[in-house]
Amino acid sequence: MGQASSLIRTTNLQRTYQMGKNTVQALAGVDLEIERGTFVALVGPSGSGKSTLLNVIGGLDRPSSGEVWVDDLELGRAPDKKLVSFRRDRVGFIFQSFNLLPTNQAWENVALPLMLAGRGRSERRKRAEHLLDQVGLGDRADHRPAELSGGQQQRVAIARALANDPVLILADEPTGNLDSRTGRDVLLLMQRLVREQQVTLLMVTHDMNAASYADRIVHMRDGVIEQIEIVERTAEAVA
Amino acid sequence: MTFGDILRTAWSNLTRRKVRTSLTSLGVTVGIFTIVVMLSLGVGVQRVIQQQFDAIGLENVVVQPRDAERNPYTRYVRPEREVVISPAKIAEWQQRPDIVSVTPIVDVNESISKRLVLPGDATATIAVGVDPGVGINNPFETPPTALAGVLRPTKDGEIVISQRALRRLGLTAEVNNLIGQEVQLVMETPRGESQSFDYTLVGVSSADNNLVALTPNDSIALKAWWFNEPDLLATEGYDYALIRAKDLNVARQLTNELRTQRFRVQSVETVLELASKIFLVINIMLGSVGGLALFVATIGIMNTMIMAIYERTREIGTLKAIGASRGNIRTLFMTEAGMIGFFGGVVGLLGGWGTGRILNRFALAYLEQEQVPIRGDFFYIPPWLIALALGFGLVVGIIAGLYPAARAARLDPIKALRHE
Ligand SMILES: Nc1ncnc2c1ncn2[C@@H]1O[C@H](COP(=O)(O)OP(=O)(O)O)[C@@H](O)[C@H]1O
Ligand SMILES: [Mg+2]
Repeated sequence: MGQASSLIRTTNLQRTYQMGKNTVQALAGVDLEIERGTFVALVGPSGSGKSTLLNVIGGLDRPSSGEVWVDDLELGRAPDKKLVSFRRDRVGFIFQSFNLLPTNQAWENVALPLMLAGRGRSERRKRAEHLLDQVGLGDRADHRPAELSGGQQQRVAIARALANDPVLILADEPTGNLDSRTGRDVLLLMQRLVREQQVTLLMVTHDMNAASYADRIVHMRDGVIEQIEIVERTAEAVA
Repeated sequence: MTFGDILRTAWSNLTRRKVRTSLTSLGVTVGIFTIVVMLSLGVGVQRVIQQQFDAIGLENVVVQPRDAERNPYTRYVRPEREVVISPAKIAEWQQRPDIVSVTPIVDVNESISKRLVLPGDATATIAVGVDPGVGINNPFETPPTALAGVLRPTKDGEIVISQRALRRLGLTAEVNNLIGQEVQLVMETPRGESQSFDYTLVGVSSADNNLVALTPNDSIALKAWWFNEPDLLATEGYDYALIRAKDLNVARQLTNELRTQRFRVQSVETVLELASKIFLVINIMLGSVGGLALFVATIGIMNTMIMAIYERTREIGTLKAIGASRGNIRTLFMTEAGMIGFFGGVVGLLGGWGTGRILNRFALAYLEQEQVPIRGDFFYIPPWLIALALGFGLVVGIIAGLYPAARAARLDPIKALRHE
């Protein structure tokens, strides 16, 4: 169903929450199309519906109405089982507070999606080490999260998001818990991975500087998309 | 997730809170320990008793005649018999295909005075009793063995004497050389008559008493002379008959059958059945104590698991986001709870086993000191008890994990990820 070029397509996407007698309209009709292989930043003030949109696109939350297509799957109508395998096999998540499992070594954290997919342990280890190399942590495979800095932990989380070879990576404020220097490193890493791996990255942020690393910036306000900005990259910014 | 992954993950989650995990499984340990110690004691003692009775033979039925109502004015007269174990009765029983053997037994009353004498030697004489023989042995005594010859005479005119009685009689040679010796039993009535009976020694028993063994006919002859009733056998019959049935079922059937014929019947089985019932009640009572402990342990595990879920809510959210199914989460938490229960069970079983070993040693030392010839395992753990202990531990854990695991599986990933 989905066209070859656009990976994500939403039409009149709505999500309302019932808070006692009040209804909160977190998404008030979102029409969005994201092409494959692009790095998209989702910006907007707090409470504008960025996380909600990300969760719906990631199959963690269901829309109240409208359609959301990722690849050939309409997530609103997909059965629960489909959503689970969708998250496991086609999406990678990156969280603000890294969310690594504290008892697992770095490589085990990276390999979690593969474990859930039922892959063998030695295959997992190999793939995890390769990914840790890619994010520059090849020598930290056996470290536990507590033995890593915030920036390192987030890089482990990025490697984990890449483990199942996803078509789509969703990141909710990935630099929110990092200082600006490490944040910059993480952003550059993500930028590089999008280019090298042809993966699509949707990143929520409220930091315009962070957003400037993306190819497109989607501005949200009050549950709708206000404006889509195409980032003109100068030769210096790419480097 | 493979089974190995689930076990490994559950294990690493449990070991991050070692103290809490250990304390939680301690509840199961106490329960399983109690059950193992109690049940192994119950089973062990029952087994030891069974082994003792087995030595006699469970298929054995002891039949006695029934005495008629006593006339209170004839207290010193031997009571009339209502039913008699006559030689004809014995022959009838012997003919039955479901009966292996019938041994008539004559009880030569101890009040009948008889002395063992060497022929022509008036000085060597000791008072003896007549051993009625098999069937009513005390199962808690070591059965005597034949030191020479046979343990029971097989033909009329033969006698078996204990080594101790022979020594006291002055026969101190090597026991094998005594076989074939002639001895006499001399009976003397209070009214002054006396009669001697000649026998050939055919066996020396190890029994630590002054009893001799005679054939039923010879025993009857003694009594007949004593009471001056030559046809005593016809009128009173034998005092007991030991019937060996083909199997337990026949023994059971025979017991009922002979009772309706007004015989008094005892079978080891009747005694054992009663013992089993008593043991069943004891086992149930003791098992309930362990069951109560396990119930408390279940609540403990449940509590620990709910706490763990609360602590790990964000982890659960993360796992769900990256593709764990409800089933994965449920299995993981059930496995953790099951492991707590199982390890509790393992430790309880080992503890119960070790305690049993120690207590058994004390019990045996005590019996040794009291010279009770019972050896055996009073804390016997049969395979089913091992399976029961481990299975119970596991089941307790799994039952305790049902609700927490379902709760964890149901968690909304978005809420879980926002949880602090
Ligand atoms: N589970 C929820 N229950 C009720 N209201 C919610 C829930 N999730 C989000 N909202 C509301 O929806 C709106 C959008 O939230 P969110 O998508 O988290 O915004 P953002 O990520 O842009 O800050 C907010 O007003 C928020 O309070
Ligand atoms: Mg948000």
